[in-house]
Amino acid sequence: MCGPVRVKGRLDLTELQQESLPPGLHCYELDATKSQIKNLPADLRIDGRLVLDNCQSLASLPEGLTAGSISLRDCPSLRALPEGLSTWFLDMTACSHFEMWPTRGTIHHGALILRNCIGIRSLPTWIGRLAQLNVAGCTQLGEIPDGIAVSSWVDVGGSGITGLPPSLQGAPLRWRGVRVDERIAFHPEELTAKEALAEKNAELRRVIIERMGYLRFAAEAGAKVIDEDQDRGGARQLLRIELREDEPLVGLSCHCPSTGRQYFLRVPPKMKTCHQAAAWMAGYDDPSLYRPQIET
Amino acid sequence: MNRKLVYMDAKSSKFWNIDLTGSSFTVTYGRTGSDGQSSTKSFPTDEVAKKEADKLVKEKLGKGYVDAEAAVSDGAGSAGETNVLIPLIAFSSINRREDIGENAGTFIGKRVVDYDMEKPVRADVVYRFRTDWENDELIPNLEHFLANDAALSTMALVIGAWHGDDSERTPEELIQSLTSKKDRLPNLAAIYVGDITSEENEISWIHQCDLSPLLAAFPKLQLLRSRGGMGLELKSPEHENLRALAIETGGLDVGVIRSICTSNFPNLEYLELWLGTDEYGANHNVADLQPILSGKLFPKLKYLGLRNSHLADEIAGVVVNSPMIGRIETLDFSLGMLTDEGARALLKLPASPTLKKLNLHFNYISADLIKQLKALPLTVDASKPSDMEEDDEWRFVAVGE
Repeated sequence: MCGPVRVKGRLDLTELQQESLPPGLHCYELDATKSQIKNLPADLRIDGRLVLDNCQSLASLPEGLTAGSISLRDCPSLRALPEGLSTWFLDMTACSHFEMWPTRGTIHHGALILRNCIGIRSLPTWIGRLAQLNVAGCTQLGEIPDGIAVSSWVDVGGSGITGLPPSLQGAPLRWRGVRVDERIAFHPEELTAKEALAEKNAELRRVIIERMGYLRFAAEAGAKVIDEDQDRGGARQLLRIELREDEPLVGLSCHCPSTGRQYFLRVPPKMKTCHQAAAWMAGYDDPSLYRPQIET
Repeated sequence: MNRKLVYMDAKSSKFWNIDLTGSSFTVTYGRTGSDGQSSTKSFPTDEVAKKEADKLVKEKLGKGYVDAEAAVSDGAGSAGETNVLIPLIAFSSINRREDIGENAGTFIGKRVVDYDMEKPVRADVVYRFRTDWENDELIPNLEHFLANDAALSTMALVIGAWHGDDSERTPEELIQSLTSKKDRLPNLAAIYVGDITSEENEISWIHQCDLSPLLAAFPKLQLLRSRGGMGLELKSPEHENLRALAIETGGLDVGVIRSICTSNFPNLEYLELWLGTDEYGANHNVADLQPILSGKLFPKLKYLGLRNSHLADEIAGVVVNSPMIGRIETLDFSLGMLTDEGARALLKLPASPTLKKLNLHFNYISADLIKQLKALPLTVDASKPSDMEEDDEWRFVAVGE
């Protein structure tokens, strides 16, 4: 075995095949993106940045892990963060099985990105002031604990969050990257098709329509029926709504044959019939080839 | 009341004095070194005169003037006769967006003049060495100057366009030429490698190289300034006496940021980075700046400029939370894509015993938020070039391409 290794700059271990690293490692930046690493040595020292994106086998991190910034995007085997974790920036985008926070740690000053962390149900109370907090797509996360503050914004797009704690009152909001107000984020029932259609910004209009629900929007906006037919779920309609400075919104309104629920499924604007739209959704460019034996 | 102010940037070096007695005041202003011109104004009462004088002083401070006395004492230190400390304000480069199209008029407060072999060498100016399409005499000119004993006392050099008719040429040869004759420049305290306007070569087309041999060769260097991000490196980022580092790019490579974050510049007081946009090579994110913002890296830092950045909003959000705020005097987000989002973050700046100035020149902030920013207990420059439209949805940094 070798003795302590000191790397002044970046240690590039991307796509490394080994499952672990030797002890005594000290570097400014460690990048082990797409590696087979399962865990890190307990005495690892990072002065700046730790990047472990896309590490399919990464299962645990050492206690007291400290770095200026830590990136753990797309690490599906990671279920927990270690006790005493300390950093300014933590990016855990798409860590789908992450669910366990340590009882103590420090994540402050920078950004906490938990985009599409579908396993988390809570945030720890020890998080202080951040610049940015992104919990978009955290479907099981119902609330943000009081005490967390941000200087830039909170992204709550598609999460289970229905309101902000007192410490975040008035904080700028985002919905998957789009700047929104509190009504769009938390009171979609108050939104109207009229204001959606009047919105100049196409991105924001898309979010308003998504928040209203396509079905309600189509009904309120007086959608034009392009085509109608029947399938196993009942009556089907292909609807079209003109949007200014954007392609028209065309979608298939149909009922699920099993549950009876009504859905509005957006399709490309060139679709002309319900059957063509259903075929496109099933992956058929030529609708004549789409002859389903059974639809459930 | 008597107040003496000075201003220095890459364009000019000037002074502005006001002398208030009773109900009138006299203002004297002009280029540094000249007597300037004076005008006297009288007012009905002492109070009105005082109020008007205060207003003028505030206006000048907002434009980047600083107290002359403070500027000089900044530069005094423990300086020996041959080791003059450059005042902090003299590290400033371009302050206004509209000055980008011009070559440096001044450098460390002195007038910049193109070197001419035919003319006698002067001690009161800074010489610039450069090539153009017809003339490829940069290195011969430089060697001619270095052969003159005037070089022995010279404090500053400006290197202009070096590419001649080969747009891919790096300054490597000229850096070798300088470092191999380092004994001829024992007092070199400031160097600008890349005084190049967009007309000569666009900022993102300038081919740079490793500039750290200059650090190793010139132990008295206080200011290293460069323009151009392509090929730029600082392989050995170490210098005991360096006080100012300024890197102007249209897109800064993360490798240069990493070099700065692992550097050993214990006396750095001034750090100016033009971060640029991803369209022109910027491949960093805010997290890459963390060691700089942690405040541990440069304990003596007084000025932090994170300019010309497409990430200005995000960076502002982190900077207001950082311990750095309690140490620096000037925070500069000018020339970047700062919008209302970044402005709202800056409104949360905690009270700081040191912070005096916020430079936000060239920004996309709305009038309402500019008003709120100006109410902060700081000197705030939130000016915009006259051609910037209020409702323009198209946003870009000031210096790209």
